[in-house]
Amino acid sequence: MTDATAEFVPGRRSLLTVDDRTRRRNAAEARFRLYGLAAVTVALIALALLLVSIFANGVSAFRQTYVAIPVTLDAAKLDKSGKLDPAVMAKVTTVGYAPLLTKGLQAAMEENGISDQGLKAKAIGALISQDAAAQLRNMVLADPTLVGQTISFEALASGRIDGYFKGRVTMESAKLDSNVSPEQLALADALKEADILHSRFNMGFITAPDASEQRPEAAGLGVAILGSLYMMIVVLVLSLPIGVAASIYLEEFAPKNRFTDLIEVNISNLAAVPSIVYGILGLAIFINFAGLPQSAPIVGGLVLTLMTLPRIIIPARAALKAVPPSIRDAALGVGASKMQSVFHHVLPLAAPGILTGMIIGLAQALGETAPLLLIGMVAFVREYPGAPPEGFFDPASALPVQVYNWTQRADPAFVERAGGAIIVLLIFLVTMNAAAILLRRRFERRW
Amino acid sequence: MNDMTRREAEITATAIKISARNAQVYYGDNHAIKDVDVDIHDRMVTAFIGPSGCGKSTFLRCLNRMNDTIPSCRVEGRITLDGEDIYDKRVDPVQLRAKVGMVFQKPNPFPKSIFDNVAYGPRIHGLTRSKAELDEVVETSLRRAALWKEVKDRLHQPGTGLSGGQQQRLCIARAIATSPEVLLMDEPCSALDPIATAQVEELIDELRAQFSVVIVTHSMQQAARVSQRTAFFHLGNLVEFGETTQIFTKPRDPRTESYITGRIG
Amino acid sequence: MILLVVLALAATGFLAGRARALKTAGGDPRDLHSLPGYHGQMVLLFTAVPALLLMAGWVLIQPAVIERNAAAVLTPADIPSGSSAALVMSDVRRIAGGLDALAAREGLSEAGVAALGADSGGLRDRLGAVGVALGGEVGPGVFEAANLYRTETRGGRTAMTVAVALTALGGLFLSLRRIRPDLRARNVSESFVLALLIGSSLIAVLTTVGIIASLLFESLNFFRLYPIKDFLLSLTWNPQFRGGSELGIWPLLWGTLYVSLIALLVATPIGLMIAIYLSEYASKRTRTIVKPAIEILAGIPTIVYGLFALVTVGPMLRDYFAQPLGLGSSSSSVMTAGLVMGIMVIPFVSSLSDDIINAVPQSLRDGSLGLGATPSETIKQVVLPAALPGVVGAILLAASRAIGETMIVVMGAGAAAKLSLNPFEAMTTVTVKIVSQLTGDTEFASPETLVAFALGLTLFTITLALNIFALYIVRKYREQYE
Repeated sequence: MTDATAEFVPGRRSLLTVDDRTRRRNAAEARFRLYGLAAVTVALIALALLLVSIFANGVSAFRQTYVAIPVTLDAAKLDKSGKLDPAVMAKVTTVGYAPLLTKGLQAAMEENGISDQGLKAKAIGALISQDAAAQLRNMVLADPTLVGQTISFEALASGRIDGYFKGRVTMESAKLDSNVSPEQLALADALKEADILHSRFNMGFITAPDASEQRPEAAGLGVAILGSLYMMIVVLVLSLPIGVAASIYLEEFAPKNRFTDLIEVNISNLAAVPSIVYGILGLAIFINFAGLPQSAPIVGGLVLTLMTLPRIIIPARAALKAVPPSIRDAALGVGASKMQSVFHHVLPLAAPGILTGMIIGLAQALGETAPLLLIGMVAFVREYPGAPPEGFFDPASALPVQVYNWTQRADPAFVERAGGAIIVLLIFLVTMNAAAILLRRRFERRW
Repeated sequence: MNDMTRREAEITATAIKISARNAQVYYGDNHAIKDVDVDIHDRMVTAFIGPSGCGKSTFLRCLNRMNDTIPSCRVEGRITLDGEDIYDKRVDPVQLRAKVGMVFQKPNPFPKSIFDNVAYGPRIHGLTRSKAELDEVVETSLRRAALWKEVKDRLHQPGTGLSGGQQQRLCIARAIATSPEVLLMDEPCSALDPIATAQVEELIDELRAQFSVVIVTHSMQQAARVSQRTAFFHLGNLVEFGETTQIFTKPRDPRTESYITGRIG
Repeated sequence: MILLVVLALAATGFLAGRARALKTAGGDPRDLHSLPGYHGQMVLLFTAVPALLLMAGWVLIQPAVIERNAAAVLTPADIPSGSSAALVMSDVRRIAGGLDALAAREGLSEAGVAALGADSGGLRDRLGAVGVALGGEVGPGVFEAANLYRTETRGGRTAMTVAVALTALGGLFLSLRRIRPDLRARNVSESFVLALLIGSSLIAVLTTVGIIASLLFESLNFFRLYPIKDFLLSLTWNPQFRGGSELGIWPLLWGTLYVSLIALLVATPIGLMIAIYLSEYASKRTRTIVKPAIEILAGIPTIVYGLFALVTVGPMLRDYFAQPLGLGSSSSSVMTAGLVMGIMVIPFVSSLSDDIINAVPQSLRDGSLGLGATPSETIKQVVLPAALPGVVGAILLAASRAIGETMIVVMGAGAAAKLSLNPFEAMTTVTVKIVSQLTGDTEFASPETLVAFALGLTLFTITLALNIFALYIVRKYREQYE
């Protein structure tokens, strides 16, 4: 072995200097890499912007402005007969209750020395939501002994006033608005000062039913959440057994022939059929042909089941496929039948994977909107559906449809509600996906 | 071996092209190559032999910094090409690889036409000024790789359509089209049948006229047939390095002897 | 109720089957061909499954049958002008419900209910009292139909209960009688389960058949009312609910394609560059963080994107681009919907492309790098050409996704059917019109409603063709490197 190291040969290009062409190529390399980084950044910014804009829009829906006032429940107005019979008292409509609230507010203003800004009684009463009168009426009908007493009542402020404190309504916009005047806003400011007007967490947003066009402040998600829950129960009960059974057959038992090929191609294509087509299917088959009621969770559940099935079967088959054949061979080797080897050994091992796919499929179904529009779930529903199983046939709404519904209303206060509803929807989805990830982490097995 | 004297004369006559001193390679915590000192001479075939996993391929990939593409890999020591440290910060691996070409174990023609495969290197390095010049480079390279006659009528068909041996010669043609100074070959015949192997070996012998060739092989016969100098690697150590005839006839180290007589590996 | 009965019977069947099997074998399970549990399982399956299937079928079919019978009672005279058979039938259903409530509240006998029909004015008030508010008086034909509807519903329900219970009992006894020591109960129950498994996988086929049948059937109805030539060739979309509509599909198709094109122009470069960056450049750590983050985009419900388009992107584009450029003043536009949809389909392009780029053999990259190519040259000249078919497949899948997307365009694109090139103008798409023609009170007789099915058929055909083609390309590509 020679120890002489080679000397640099003069005249040839050194490695240590970078020539122009290489410099240009390296610049192109850096640019290309930057494009990649930029693409990732753009996508992440879009995601952030999307979430931030929804949250910024919706988070205020969870707080609401209330008016705390003493209300004197005048017996002469509410119960002329004096018998405290709810059936008779029910004849007094909400129109009879509204003046009581106005009076209560005026009394509170007087007590705190707040000037009425030259407003008439009717305009002062308009600070309180129309829904407050209905709430007061329900309260009285439930407990007629209240009549004649003076109670402290916390009434919803009207949507415009609520919007004023949330920055949606301003003095300038009020000048152009027939529903609210700058004087009313000034009065609201004074009331706020005196702590008659305050804002707090709004439980009603989650539990209350939808409200009409004029009362955005009272609208809630109760019916929609219940409807979505019912639909998810239907989807779970139907698609879990059917999906697992179908994937077991296709993965473990199906012979390789043209018919099973057809089923497979079918399933992969069904997974990519636009969801609205499932809505058309539901409308034509379940409502038009089978005569099931419109807007019912059962129909929504059936449609979503058909839509979710292929999306469950695909991951379930992957989970079954991941169980190594040695397990099957071992079971068959001790004399178990094919069916026993699948149900006793393969299925339990694949269960975490199947469940993960199931939860993700359910989460997708929960957020699906388009097919539900076609089967009539956009209808305005104020009644809670009954208890299952009859409740499955009662009209209901669904979370994503409720969002759509609110965006179609004229009052901008509903946009905030829609954002709030999306936050609720996203919380459900995040919880479900977190459960799926946890399940996967906890039970993931590699062979 | 009647031409042994001629070979020895050549060895002393040619300059040293690549030289490694005290080279170490780590994969994460794994010390894969330990204290390797090697000199690769110009216009000569150097063979790296040894049992599988002995580090011969790893060391080969250090010579044109292909190991840079593996994040956990780290190289220490001094490896020079014509006296310049190739691991110097100022060295651009792209320029280095243009000078030190590589042919891989499995033939890996690009999914392009035969012509485009060979023209790939000259194009990216900007070696030709005109289409005619490029045509000429492609033709010479294919001729040198002894493939021209077989493919001259179908230059614009995909390279993946060739047979295994032809594909490997196409890869060699692709590597020499950039006129490198050193050609590294990582078990170039392991995926080929005996006839194709013979063709490639013949080719290697001819390439020696222009290039310095380093070949990794698991076949001792092949090393004996094509190389002038041989390095024997074992467990990441360079055990013995010397003239091929000497290694195969009078090995100095007992491990080398065990290997070439078939007792280890 | 009946559900519980069937389940209870099935549970009894299981226990009885097991006990009987043991008894016939003289208490020694080793004399049986199959374990006693399998005898029980066999009885359980034969009891529960046929009965439950019968019940499900009955529940689905009974309303349709009764509906038809009740509708047969109605004469043309019962249908006021300006109304339709469907509207009258919904009244019939509500009156039937009201009659039931009335009968329950006032303790009326069958004859008493039937007598209510005589006093049509009073009936309206009394129905109002149980919460069924009617627009007009109840005509005799309508009342008769309603009464028929409710008696048949009640009768049907009783008949169903009886039939289901009998089926369950029949299954129970037949299978119990079969139990003998040498009965291959395991094989019998396994064949039964296998049949159930096959049945479940057939649901997928049935769904497809259902989709195609319902789309084709109603589309044919539509083409009977409206010439197919006009549907396919007319360039105007102008539905009139008084008749004389022009229902040409081109403005809608144009809107769909325009929105999808913009979405793909956004998603393809971004998605592809993300895939390249993640598979070729990013460190393992970056990859494990960024990849799931990008895939969140695919998991967000489309209604969220819809709201994003409506309240954020739409007004922003209008204020900063469309109005300053004098291109329009609508916040819903092709651009709005296209941009937002583009964001939505980014992960569809990037995930699949990522898989496909990773499937390109490392030896090709080594070959290129070994010749002194830079990584970007390797990607552009070797990796991408090798991955091209798969990447095209990914883009086609994204396109099919974009074409079928509904909520984003409903909330972001607008409702005006137009053939225009200005991307800041509101246009409409096939899916938007399906929604608008089918929501609200739907009546399946007018071409304005039925056109939605023809639109659905078009949409289904286009997306199916795209999917099949894309899946074919991707599969061919995968085979190449296996």
